[in-house]
Amino acid sequence: MKLSSFFSGLLAACALLVAPLAVQAQTSLTVGLQLEPPNLDPTSGAAVATDDVVYGNIFEGLVQLDPQGAVKPLLATWWEVSPDGLSYTFHLRQGVRFQDGTAFDAAVAKFSLDRALAATSTNVQKQALGAIARIEAVDPRTLRLILNRPDGNLLNVMALGDTVMVSPKSAGKLATDPIGTGPFRFAGWRRGDSVTLDRFDGYWGKGAKLAQVRFRFIGDPAAAFAAIKTREVDAFPDYPAPENLAQLRADPKLKVIAAASEGEVILGVNNRTGPLANVRVRRAIQHALDRRAIIDGAMYGYGTPIGSHFPPQNAAYVDLTGLHPHDIAKAKALLTEAGYPNGLALTLKLPPPNYARRSGEIIAAQLAQVGIRVKIENVEWAQWLDQVFARHAFDLTVVSHAEPMDYDIYDRPDYYFGYSSPAFHALMGQLQAATDEGQRAAILGQIQRRIADDAVNGFLFQFPRLGVFDARLKDFWVNSPTRSIDLANASFDGAGGGGIASGRSGGGAIPGLVLAIAVVGGLAWLTARFGAVWLAGRAAIMAVTLLAASAVIFTIIQVVPGDPAAFMLGLNASPEAAANLRQQMGLEGPAAQRYAAWLLGMVRGDFGVSYTYQTPVAGLLAERIGVSLPLALLAMILSVVVGAPIGALAAARRGKAADTVVMGLTQVGVAIPNFWFAVLLVMAFSIGLGWFSAGGFPGWDAGLWPALKALTLPAIALAAPQAAILARVTRSALIDTLAEDYMRTARAKGLTASQALWRHGLPNALIPILTILGLQFPFLLAGGVIIENVFFLPGLGRLVLQAIGQRDLIVVQGVVMLLVFAVVATNFLVDVAYRLVDPRLSGRAAR
Amino acid sequence: MSRAAPTLVIGGAISALFVALALLSFIWTPYAVTDFDIAHRLQGPSTAHWLGLDHFGRDVASLILLGARNALLVSLVAVLLGAGLGVPLGLLAAARGGWIDELVMRGADVVFAFPALILAILLTAVLGPGALNAVIAIGVFNVPVFARLTRGSALSLWTRDYVLAARAAGKGAARISLEHVLPGLLSVLIVQATLQFSLGVIAEAGLSYVGLGAQPPAASWGKMLADAQTLVAVAPLQAIFPGLAIVITVLGLNLLGDGLRDRLDPRLTEDR
Repeated sequence: MKLSSFFSGLLAACALLVAPLAVQAQTSLTVGLQLEPPNLDPTSGAAVATDDVVYGNIFEGLVQLDPQGAVKPLLATWWEVSPDGLSYTFHLRQGVRFQDGTAFDAAVAKFSLDRALAATSTNVQKQALGAIARIEAVDPRTLRLILNRPDGNLLNVMALGDTVMVSPKSAGKLATDPIGTGPFRFAGWRRGDSVTLDRFDGYWGKGAKLAQVRFRFIGDPAAAFAAIKTREVDAFPDYPAPENLAQLRADPKLKVIAAASEGEVILGVNNRTGPLANVRVRRAIQHALDRRAIIDGAMYGYGTPIGSHFPPQNAAYVDLTGLHPHDIAKAKALLTEAGYPNGLALTLKLPPPNYARRSGEIIAAQLAQVGIRVKIENVEWAQWLDQVFARHAFDLTVVSHAEPMDYDIYDRPDYYFGYSSPAFHALMGQLQAATDEGQRAAILGQIQRRIADDAVNGFLFQFPRLGVFDARLKDFWVNSPTRSIDLANASFDGAGGGGIASGRSGGGAIPGLVLAIAVVGGLAWLTARFGAVWLAGRAAIMAVTLLAASAVIFTIIQVVPGDPAAFMLGLNASPEAAANLRQQMGLEGPAAQRYAAWLLGMVRGDFGVSYTYQTPVAGLLAERIGVSLPLALLAMILSVVVGAPIGALAAARRGKAADTVVMGLTQVGVAIPNFWFAVLLVMAFSIGLGWFSAGGFPGWDAGLWPALKALTLPAIALAAPQAAILARVTRSALIDTLAEDYMRTARAKGLTASQALWRHGLPNALIPILTILGLQFPFLLAGGVIIENVFFLPGLGRLVLQAIGQRDLIVVQGVVMLLVFAVVATNFLVDVAYRLVDPRLSGRAAR
Repeated sequence: MSRAAPTLVIGGAISALFVALALLSFIWTPYAVTDFDIAHRLQGPSTAHWLGLDHFGRDVASLILLGARNALLVSLVAVLLGAGLGVPLGLLAAARGGWIDELVMRGADVVFAFPALILAILLTAVLGPGALNAVIAIGVFNVPVFARLTRGSALSLWTRDYVLAARAAGKGAARISLEHVLPGLLSVLIVQATLQFSLGVIAEAGLSYVGLGAQPPAASWGKMLADAQTLVAVAPLQAIFPGLAIVITVLGLNLLGDGLRDRLDPRLTEDR
């Protein structure tokens, strides 16, 4: 790795520079991740984000893989395999304790593996562990696995996050309260924002150097750039925006590392039917692809071209990129030979990551040059899993296969690309029987050649793992084949320092009580003022609206394609694991019954349990309102404070230059899309001037000022168009009232123009202004969806977007109902306000 | 009314330019946007490429033209959809009154109560992304706007003498609605259609920005902004041009709407 040596040199240079200053090194580390884990249990579900956070940090398995892919001891110090390959004996490490105090021994190890294999297990690797017939705890320090057939891959599976050791005491709550034997223990999870880990002092090994680690979840590439640039995060090991790397490299306080990963990015081809079943057509596609252009265009040059489904850093790699070179004439000739002289039309389904979307656009243009007309369809992951992976309803797709040594998927005719070859199957049989390394490498070479020659898929490039790090950070990251961000040895340069107290967010019973008193008091006052009949009528209308809305949303949710269980379990799940999970989620049963249960639950304040987070939805909503409500209020205050006086000024100067300027500006204000404005604000005030953080939310327990500061830029972005609208409304309302007779009367009785405006004009102009405010508030509450993404705020909008993407439909229902309720309640309050402002309305129902 | 004229002229000119460019893109763009010239990507404006090249080396000016076409089509059809369903509903509610009126208005309340963007995202999750589904997602929220406006204005027309005369002559409610009420509403509806059109342009940009609008290779201003977002520090013009296209178009349409309102119905205020 030339790059890494360059950067270690750079690192050393930086260390020399800062050495005199570094009296006390930083001991807390913030790591940026693109994806938030749905839950923290690595033994259930396929989310790689879970492994990123917990594997190697909280949880450990019996063995681990070293950077070269060799199996190394971890909780097992050594092991023996019987000559027939049917018995594995593991000798376990002594003195290991779980973070809950439980001692680790063979019985616990047996429990962990039995749990993964159980009938009700939702473990993704259940099938991969299928060779295990029996698990025996020979003595407290010895575990034996008896197999029913030899399995050369077993030790690799034992090094995955899915097969970590868990404590019987805490195994039931791993999703929300993970307990393992690793060097860090779980400290807290602010959903939508971050997971915090603290050093585990009872660790069996050397122990972590960092006192605290925080994983922050930032999915938006632009937000990731802002976060690393403003040092909201110290490290971004899977940085999503290669287009920024040149710029980040130029920053001496950062180091950028581009390394190989186990991921192969392929143009997945449905081999089953139609023209794509014809190998000539598939070869034509290979010849049409220009890998260099794809890597340059989609990845800004990062990534190594591949000619088969195999990573170049592996010793058994064979370079097959020359097998089907970029050759348009050849591709056209092959198409003609295959019977498609006029080309053909294909669909290309692209999952969300930028590498896939961008590669897909370039591939479509390249295929167009040989006469293949490609229709691009962007899909979410849930749709991709459903349409491409499960139902094989696709022609082409672009996806990265991140699992190490995953060539066995070409031996599964039911796999999504549907390759079926007796020759390949025979090779796989030879590989399983082979024990000699040299022999294995030779067979692996033939395997690569076979799938390249059959042009099963378009082999594009090896996915580069692009990381951006604080230059002082060391021993952070190993190019390990196992998916993890292992921080056991990570530290900052400089002497060791003290720990940092961790903050926890806490709800309170007191605000709830205050709220209840306010509601009861408010209702009593309304009854006294407007009468019980009016109040009951309004309540009935509200109830009907809410009921209708709940029916609408429930119906929509029923037809949303994509199975939440399949989404959680990912690519390698067995159908029975998915069925188990569906049962757990309460997704079975007639729709009417589930609707009634949901409705009755909501009346009691029970919104159900989130599928992915596995915590009550009501709690999630409460957490997120704590961000979205203050943001909406702040934006509203800003829009009133700015918009109303400007509008009044324009009204007072009607027809003069000031009026024209103000009205022109407000027209522009109304026309600016708020998400665009938000990006400009970040660039100017966070990255440019450094006045505000680029995003994130420290929580209210961090103090009023930091919390308000974090909401300032998002509030400005939200408020700007609203302020423009409000200014216009205020102006026209004031102009209308100024023309009324009573204003002339007021002037006639001797009031000055501004006295008349304030005493008589403003109260009457309030009605349209109130109407607009009433319309704006719910819009601001929900309208922050995109804004919350730009600033990675853990609000309702981001919750619902993420929930739609992950098919956490119960959360979607809950958020939508909450927002509908906000609209209904606001309308009610506006109605009350009308009546207070204008007593004439008291007699009839206002609309 | 002295202000009305310039508003109408400027707004009309911008809107006409927008429509003209959108129509032009059907027959001509400076370059084909299927030409990827990755070696020259993110090049600044030049005489050959007036607005430069994008991150794939495509001609930005051509993309802006195609984006105008997309914005025009999506917003226009969404308005037609909203008016096509909303106006008859509003006429019906005004003509019949009673429980039909109540049903239509409460239905409008329910639609209004939904968070528009979230529902649009859900709808595209059901229907799949694409320009047509963006039209539906935006059009659905235009329906109650037109229904309410039509009903409110129609109610006042029903009390007019000429409508009373028509009733006395024995004409049915449906005929009166079509022959006497609807013509009286046209100016109000045209003004509202212009404003919904401009809201549609912003909404389409928002949906495309989150990847749910027109799919590539079709161009969309929102998609261009999304592509440009991570490049703001490297190539700020990438975000400026599509952003300006949106702002100018929406501005033009709003000015046109305001101008038309002042011209067609001076009594209406600006607070819609």
